[in-house]
Amino acid sequence: MKVEMLIYAYLAVCAAMIVFNIACIFVFRHKDKKLDDRSSAFTDKVRKQTATDEITEAHRKYLCKKLRHVNHLMAFDKTLEALYIEDPQKIKAYVEKLSAVFIYLTFVYRKKNKLQMAYFPYIIKKYQLFRGYNISIVTDVMLDLVREPALYCRENALQALYSIGDADSVIEALCILDVGAYYHHPKMITDGLLSFCGDREKLADKLWDKLPTFSERMQVSVLDYFRFCSGEYCEPILRLLASGDLGDEATYSCIRYFGKYAYEPALPQLLRFAEITDENRWEYTAITATALAIYPCRETEAILRSMLHSRNWYVRFNASQSLERQGLEYTDLVDIFEGDDRYAGEIMRYRFDQKKMREKEAAFL
Amino acid sequence: MRGEIFRLVQSVLDGIDIFFVIYMIGYSSFLFLAVVIGSSELYKKRQQEKLKNTLLQDYYIPISIIVPAYNEEVTVVETVRSLLALEYTLYEIIVVDDGSTDTTSQKLIEAFHMHPIRRPIHRKISCLPEEFVYETAAQKVSLTLIRKKNGGKADSLNMGINACRYPYFICMDADSVLQHDSLSKIVRPIIECKNVVAVGGVIRPGNSVELEWGHVVKYRLPRNILACMQVLEYDRSFLASRILFDKFNGSLIISGAFGLFKKDVVIAAGGYDRSTMGEDMELVVKLHEYCVANDMPYTIKYATDAICWSQAPERLRDLCKQRRRWHLGLFQSLWKHKVLLANPRFGAVSFISYFYFLLYELLSPFIEILGIASMMAAFSLDLIDVPFTALFFLIYAVFGCALTLTAFFARIQTIDLKISFMDALKAVVLCFFEICVLRLIMAFVRATAFIGYKKKKLDWGHIERKKINIQ
Repeated sequence: MKVEMLIYAYLAVCAAMIVFNIACIFVFRHKDKKLDDRSSAFTDKVRKQTATDEITEAHRKYLCKKLRHVNHLMAFDKTLEALYIEDPQKIKAYVEKLSAVFIYLTFVYRKKNKLQMAYFPYIIKKYQLFRGYNISIVTDVMLDLVREPALYCRENALQALYSIGDADSVIEALCILDVGAYYHHPKMITDGLLSFCGDREKLADKLWDKLPTFSERMQVSVLDYFRFCSGEYCEPILRLLASGDLGDEATYSCIRYFGKYAYEPALPQLLRFAEITDENRWEYTAITATALAIYPCRETEAILRSMLHSRNWYVRFNASQSLERQGLEYTDLVDIFEGDDRYAGEIMRYRFDQKKMREKEAAFL
Repeated sequence: MRGEIFRLVQSVLDGIDIFFVIYMIGYSSFLFLAVVIGSSELYKKRQQEKLKNTLLQDYYIPISIIVPAYNEEVTVVETVRSLLALEYTLYEIIVVDDGSTDTTSQKLIEAFHMHPIRRPIHRKISCLPEEFVYETAAQKVSLTLIRKKNGGKADSLNMGINACRYPYFICMDADSVLQHDSLSKIVRPIIECKNVVAVGGVIRPGNSVELEWGHVVKYRLPRNILACMQVLEYDRSFLASRILFDKFNGSLIISGAFGLFKKDVVIAAGGYDRSTMGEDMELVVKLHEYCVANDMPYTIKYATDAICWSQAPERLRDLCKQRRRWHLGLFQSLWKHKVLLANPRFGAVSFISYFYFLLYELLSPFIEILGIASMMAAFSLDLIDVPFTALFFLIYAVFGCALTLTAFFARIQTIDLKISFMDALKAVVLCFFEICVLRLIMAFVRATAFIGYKKKKLDWGHIERKKINIQ
């Protein structure tokens, strides 16, 4: 009897799964259709409003009521997306007039589940709502979301803050992330900062002020941001590098900065890193070897030549690349090719082969 | 005396009976859990995508794609073309020709106008020496061809790891095509989580799928019945169970056809094992062992939206060959890393994943064949209730089919693929055949996999290739 019961139980599971499958097919079809219906309902209403200069209070109320539900917000997004293609200026102007609606919705979505909560800052970012306005009630909610454990809640809220463009809020968000227990990839922070829509100089000043208080991981993100942003920070970054207060990773970021923007006063410091012989600190030498490519002079050539004889493969690899980038010819390096160090000769020969290949391919193209 | 023998046989069969009830309950429950959790995860993922709970821009993690090739002249050029068309910026492609006896290297050199180059290779893990290296910088990304002495797939992958420049590498098969967004999808777990050392992609049989530069233009089930059954099998057995294992960091396998690894960890663990047939599984098990032994926090993830279209064998002989290899690889990996068995240091990896692979994958063909043999014995002794047994099997088949179809439709619906009514019908009919016929054939193949084991243990196990139509 027991075995029969088991079999019936499995049979019931089978039946439930088949019903589930069929139900899913219908639910998905229905959902897609419903989204289209809602979107076309919004389209008519938005068209009416955009035909005039002002939007009516009734329309605002209607949106406040409807957009409380995420499915309607998705449909509204779809509508705006489609209408934006037709007339971007009209839609921009229309959205700007909806601030009050979205301030109201900020509180509504703060109370929703994580998935829906993360969707709202996405909308803020997408339509550049509140851009240039520091509406504290909105930024406060966004900062609250930055504290959430869910990655996309945090990331979308950060994106919204970058798009609003208030430097103080962004700095506060970075501080929250820095002391928080949740991992946020440094590349996301660097790329996010690069998309900041407000006063970049003000943001840079504030980042400088805060930099010493950040953890090393956050320092790396900020220093990478400076590197991708502009070459205007050579002086303060050199000061930072010379201070010796930075951890290894942050120091590497500074060296990379000077590998992107040539700054003569930084050369002595770079040469000091290049002369490190401690094998455990080979990364300093390897990264500096790359950076020295944009400082062509006798001194750097000599040190890069000596690096070709390093025991570390990466140091040799980077040094050979820099020598080639400095424009040295085969004849300048005969001593390397004909010397006793086979590894140095091989790596350098490879660089010249590659150069030749590129030239040939460029000529062919 | 005869009565005693009869009673003995009866008690043995009773014992087998109880064992099978427990075994089947265990397997069915696992499958049920895997499909339910797998499907709900796919639905959740779809909802996340719709609500933009996802990375909205590409964060370029530099990746090296390693393509080991042995006698792949038919597909290798198209494979590389498809790789060059991927929607990603920072990557390089390294094709390692493992001493092919056909024109694999020549085809590549001619198709991409590659140049010979004296490239020093930093040997961090051991592999056979290279014969020549060709490169080109005229493509979208750097393309390298390394021709080496024949040493097997693992040896080629090790060569690729030695030659690659970026901190993460992808291993893939020369007969596979990555979907246009697969690189940005497979790096997502690295962005999301700090300690990811490996990410598995999804392998889908794409025998009748029309692809245009990595974009699916038309999806339909393969015309070939065998390939079609494999589509269903992949969804039930691989997709669903890997999602379940992913929940507790218990993945023991990342398919060799598409997986991403952190290079320094793989090198520290010793790279691919050249003596193993299932080098892909062995590496993942080894990573578990290495990370735990070194008290290193680590995660192995499964990216359900990073898709690689592969060719499922269309001939039974090829399928048998493939499954024999997989089974031997499984045996070698589990045997080599037996330290994981019932070892509390490894937690769920030991007590769930390893145990599952041991009992329900490695030993299952023997157990299934024992089951059939004992049923026949019971039948001959008139100890079997035939209608009840038939009902039992029917329900078991329906159960398996319901699970297969759930996994199949969950996948179809959550990635917005459209299938025709005929294909849906085909799936319903063929899932019965898959469970009742193909599974039994495969059980036999896997049970006999060890015959000729020593002779074939480093063989590439070639199956018939068809030209991939990427455009």
